[in-house]
Amino acid sequence: MIQLENVHKFYGTGESRNEVLKGISLQVGDGDFVVLLGASGSGKSTLLNVMSGLERADEGTICYGKTQLEQMTDKELTEFRKNNIGFIFQQYYLLPNLNVDKNVKMGAELAGNKEYRQTISAVGLEKKVHKYPHELSGGEQQRVSVARALAKKPKFLYLDEPTGALDEKTGRLVLDYISKLQQESGFTVIMVTHNQNVAEMANTVIRMNSGRIVETWQNAEPKNAYEIAW
Amino acid sequence: MIVSYKDTLKIASITIISFCAVFVCTLFLNFNLDLADVGNEITSPATQSLYDAQVMTGKVVSSLAGGCLLLTTVVLLCFYVGHFIDIHQKELGILKALGYSRFRIAREFWTFGCSVLTGTASAYLCAHLLMPTFYEVQNELGLLPAFEVHFHPGLCFLLVFLPALFFALLAVCYSYLKMKVSPLTLLRGKESTKIVKARKESDMPFLQELGKSNVRQRKSLVFFITFAIFCFSSMMQMSFSMDELASEMMAFMIMGIGIVLACVTLFLASTSVVKANGKTITMMKVFGYQSRDCVKAVLGGYRPWACFGFVLGSLYQYLLLRIAVSIIFADIENVPEYHFDIPAMLIALFSFIALYETVMFCYTKKIEKMSVKEIMLE
Ligand SMILES: Nc1ncnc2c1ncn2[C@@H]1O[C@H](COP(=O)(O)OP(=O)(O)O)[C@@H](O)[C@H]1O
Ligand SMILES: [Mg+2]
Repeated sequence: MIQLENVHKFYGTGESRNEVLKGISLQVGDGDFVVLLGASGSGKSTLLNVMSGLERADEGTICYGKTQLEQMTDKELTEFRKNNIGFIFQQYYLLPNLNVDKNVKMGAELAGNKEYRQTISAVGLEKKVHKYPHELSGGEQQRVSVARALAKKPKFLYLDEPTGALDEKTGRLVLDYISKLQQESGFTVIMVTHNQNVAEMANTVIRMNSGRIVETWQNAEPKNAYEIAW
Repeated sequence: MIVSYKDTLKIASITIISFCAVFVCTLFLNFNLDLADVGNEITSPATQSLYDAQVMTGKVVSSLAGGCLLLTTVVLLCFYVGHFIDIHQKELGILKALGYSRFRIAREFWTFGCSVLTGTASAYLCAHLLMPTFYEVQNELGLLPAFEVHFHPGLCFLLVFLPALFFALLAVCYSYLKMKVSPLTLLRGKESTKIVKARKESDMPFLQELGKSNVRQRKSLVFFITFAIFCFSSMMQMSFSMDELASEMMAFMIMGIGIVLACVTLFLASTSVVKANGKTITMMKVFGYQSRDCVKAVLGGYRPWACFGFVLGSLYQYLLLRIAVSIIFADIENVPEYHFDIPAMLIALFSFIALYETVMFCYTKKIEKMSVKEIMLE
C-alpha cells in the first residue's frame, strides 16, 4: 500500500517560489488501478514523480508499506526504484541507438528477467524485435516502452499521459495491453491523464486542481479500453 | 558574426595543446639554432659527439612532441567545428535559407584560428622566458662552447603565425565541407543524425551492449581516445628513460605534455559522450540504474581501446628510444644497450589507471547531480 501524508513540493526560491503540491494525502491499495485527472499545470506529473521517488517531497511523508522514502539516500532511492517501480512516459524515451530487444532488455536485466521476449510478444511486437525506435510508429514505440517497464516486473507502474501523443486506435491498443497485463500480474497502476474518459477504466479516480486533490471516487465496474468513449 | 570570441574561448583545450606543442618546439629548435652558431668552434671529437647528440635529441623531441600535438589539434579542431555546426544547425540553416553563400558563412570560422594563436604566442613567450635556464641546464658541464639566446624571426613565424594561419584555414575549409547540405536539412535539425545499427545481433548484457552502441555512434572518438592514451603511455615511459639518457628538464617536459594531452582529450571525449547520452542516462536512472553503472556503460565501450592505446604506446616508445639511442650514441663507446624499462611501464600503467578512474569518478558525480526532470522537460 502507498500512503502519502500532507505532501508539499515547491519549485524555485525567493519571489519565484511556487508551491506545486499543497498538502496531498492519499492512499493507494495494492493492485489498484488509479487514474489522476486534472488540467494541465495542476501538478499531476509532479505528484507522480514525488510519489515514485524520482523527486523528493519538501514536506510530508511517503510510505510504501513500512518503507519511508524521505529517509532514503539517493542510492537507496535508486535501488528502491530498481526493485519496485516501472515508468511509462508520454514521450516514450526509448534509447535511440538500441533496437527493441535491447530497449526491453534494459528493464529486464534489472529484475534478472531472462524471459523478457515474452513481454515483447505480449505487446504484439515479436516481429519488430530488431527494429530501432526511429523505424517504429508512435504506438509501437509506446508499446516498447510498456514492455520495457513491465519486463522489469514492477510492483507499481507509473504512467504519465501514456496515450497523450497517440491517436484513438493506437491509444486504445496501448491501454488494452496495460490493463490486460495488470490483470495477469496484479501490479498497481497509477496513471496520469487529461482524458476524462480513460478514468472509467480505473478503480479509483483522483481529480487534482492547482496542487490539491479536489475529488476522489471509486468506479464500481471499471470498463475496458474498448468500452470507454475517447 | 557567426562564431563569437566566446565560442573560441570554449575550446580552451586547443589553446592548451597548441601551447604545449609550441613551447617544446620553441625551446629545442631555438636551442638547436643557437647551438649551430657555435658548431664550427668545436675541435675535440668528444665535444663533437656531444654536440651531435644534443642536436639529435632536439630534433627527436620537437618532432615527436610537435607531431603528436599537431595531429591532436587537427582532430580536435575538426571535432569542435563539427560540434559547433551541429548545435547551431538552425541558425546556420536560416542564414543559408536567407541566401548567405556557403563560403560566406564558412569564412567566419577563421576565428577558431585565434585560439590557436593565443596558445602559440603565449607558448613562444614563455619558452623565451625559460630559455636562459634551459640553456644552462643543457650545457651544465660547460663542455660546449658558450653560446647565448638569440631571437630567430623565422622560427617565430614558423611556430607562432604559421600554425594559427593553418588552423584558421583548416576551420574554414572543414566547415565549408560540413555545411554541404541543404538549408532545409539544417533547419530540421538533429533528426538528420544517423543511427548506426549493429551489424549482427548479439546477446551481451545490456550495459555492455550500450557501451558498444556508443562506440558505434561515435567512431571518431575511438581514434581520439586511443591516440590520447598512446601519447600518454609513450611520453610517460619515455620521460623515465629520458631521465637517464638526457636531461631531467626534458623528462619533465615530456611527462607534462603526456599528462596534459591525456587529460584534455579524455575529459573532452567523455563530456561529449555523456552529453550525447543525456536522455539515455536519465532513463537509466529513472529505471533504477546507479550513476556508476550509467557511466560505466556509456563510457565502457572505449575501455578496450584505451588499453590498446597504452600497449601501442609502450611498444612505440621502446622502439623509438632504441633507434634514437643507436643513432645518438653511435660513436660513443660504453653506452649500455637500451632495455625495456619495466618499472617505468608499471608507473605509467598505474597512473593511467588512476587517471581513468578519476575521469569515471568525476562523471559519476556529475551524473548524480543531473536532475531527472531537467532533461525530460527539454
Ligand atoms: N522543474 C520545475 N521548475 C519549476 N516549476 C516547475 C517545474 N516542474 C513543474 N513546474 C511547475 O509546476 C506546475 C505543475 O507542473 P506539472 O506537475 O508538470 O503539471 P501537470 O503534469 O499537471 O501538467 C506547473 O505550473 C509547472 O510550471
Ligand atoms: Mg504533466
